[in-house]
Amino acid sequence: MTDFLSFAVEYLPEILAALPVTLGLWVLAMILGFTLGLLLATGRLYGNRVVYGLSTAYVEIFRGTPMLVQMFFIYLGLPEIGIVLDPFLAAFVAIGMNSAAYQAEYFRGAVRSVPPGQMMAARAIGMTRMEGFRSIVLPQAMRRVIPQWTNEAILELKYTSIAYAIGVSEITARAEKIGNTTFQFFDVFLLLAVIYVILTGIVAQVLQIVESRTAIPGVNR
Amino acid sequence: MAKLLEVEDIRKSFGSTEVLKGVSLSLDRGETKVIMGSSGTGKSTLLRCVNRLDPADSGHVRLDGEEVTDANVNRMRQRIAFVFQDFNLFLHLSARDNITIGLRKLRKMSKADARQRADRELDRVGLSDRADNYPSQLSGGQQQRVSIARALAMDPDVLLFDEPTSALDPELTGEVVSVMQSLARDGMTMLVVSHEVGFARRAADAVIFMDGGHVLEEAPPKEFFSAPKHDRARQFLTAIGEGEAA
Repeated sequence: MTDFLSFAVEYLPEILAALPVTLGLWVLAMILGFTLGLLLATGRLYGNRVVYGLSTAYVEIFRGTPMLVQMFFIYLGLPEIGIVLDPFLAAFVAIGMNSAAYQAEYFRGAVRSVPPGQMMAARAIGMTRMEGFRSIVLPQAMRRVIPQWTNEAILELKYTSIAYAIGVSEITARAEKIGNTTFQFFDVFLLLAVIYVILTGIVAQVLQIVESRTAIPGVNR
Repeated sequence: MAKLLEVEDIRKSFGSTEVLKGVSLSLDRGETKVIMGSSGTGKSTLLRCVNRLDPADSGHVRLDGEEVTDANVNRMRQRIAFVFQDFNLFLHLSARDNITIGLRKLRKMSKADARQRADRELDRVGLSDRADNYPSQLSGGQQQRVSIARALAMDPDVLLFDEPTSALDPELTGEVVSVMQSLARDGMTMLVVSHEVGFARRAADAVIFMDGGHVLEEAPPKEFFSAPKHDRARQFLTAIGEGEAA
């Protein structure tokens, strides 16, 4: 135990030096996933046949293939047709586009769980479908999606580790490198695991607070 | 003089079932009419055709001579307000904001003006002290009164009520009915689908009796309740406990 602690004290700064890369990748990918996911959900809910078809195909393709394969495709495959992305950008696009497929489904489910009478009442006072969606349905759907979105955020935070496979120097890559020089794989990956648990714990806590702060008074969840 | 609301020969089918088989009625400004009839006779569908929540297959709805169409429906709905059976208050908004949201988004009113207007309407339905409560913190009767206030705030020419007390416990219907009666007294034009005989007797200018997708008869409440012309109407009144033993 004391061995592990002294190891941790020695190598923690080195791993944490890569934390901005991990967190940056995560935040950017979540933003991409959120924006694209919302568009896809809207396309699947309200789009005409073409938009619905395209959104559905997107979701099925990105949910149906491993994220690692998607990332290799983007990083190693796309250069063959002239699209060259640096490792960080490729990882960001892969994780973000993958997350979009899942977030789209969470948003769609949340929108559909809003009682239909809400939109009806919005239409009845003279709102267009768009106004009703924006002012009435979406604010309620967003609250309902927080628990699932928390899961997704935690999942994606851990998934940033696959960027290691295309040479992004995030915390997993850094830990592996330390292992290769010290041969203390047990200690280094234990330390890495502790770091991930603390990070995901913080995310869960923060989103828990968001959830209770935005809860509709009088509604038990 | 032209009628304020004219409903002419409305037909509506769901699948192969024809629910409305050519319904016409009209309201003068300030009139209140109550539509009665057994369930499944198309009363609610008719009401939803009036503001196009369910567009009719054929027929016309005119407000002040202007036909309600797909093109003007959003503007016309602000003049033909609708009160739902199950209230449909916006769940994420306080009682006050249920009222201000339409004023702000559709009327582009300032926050302060909308708030003032909302508080006036809440006062009108006796809920000034509940402005900051959310729908799930209100009783059914209170929710329905907020929804009436929400409808009133848009300054509608006509108020449509779709069984406004049917989802309420009996002891809560009174507060909603008394709000509706005071609106009728104030000269509001109202078309009400309801089985509240007391309301019809006290506040309605006429009762419209529907059966099988038709208007079977229309008569002043006194006349309708004491001497309905049709057997179906008599049977209906007996069924709801208003009929006189023959």
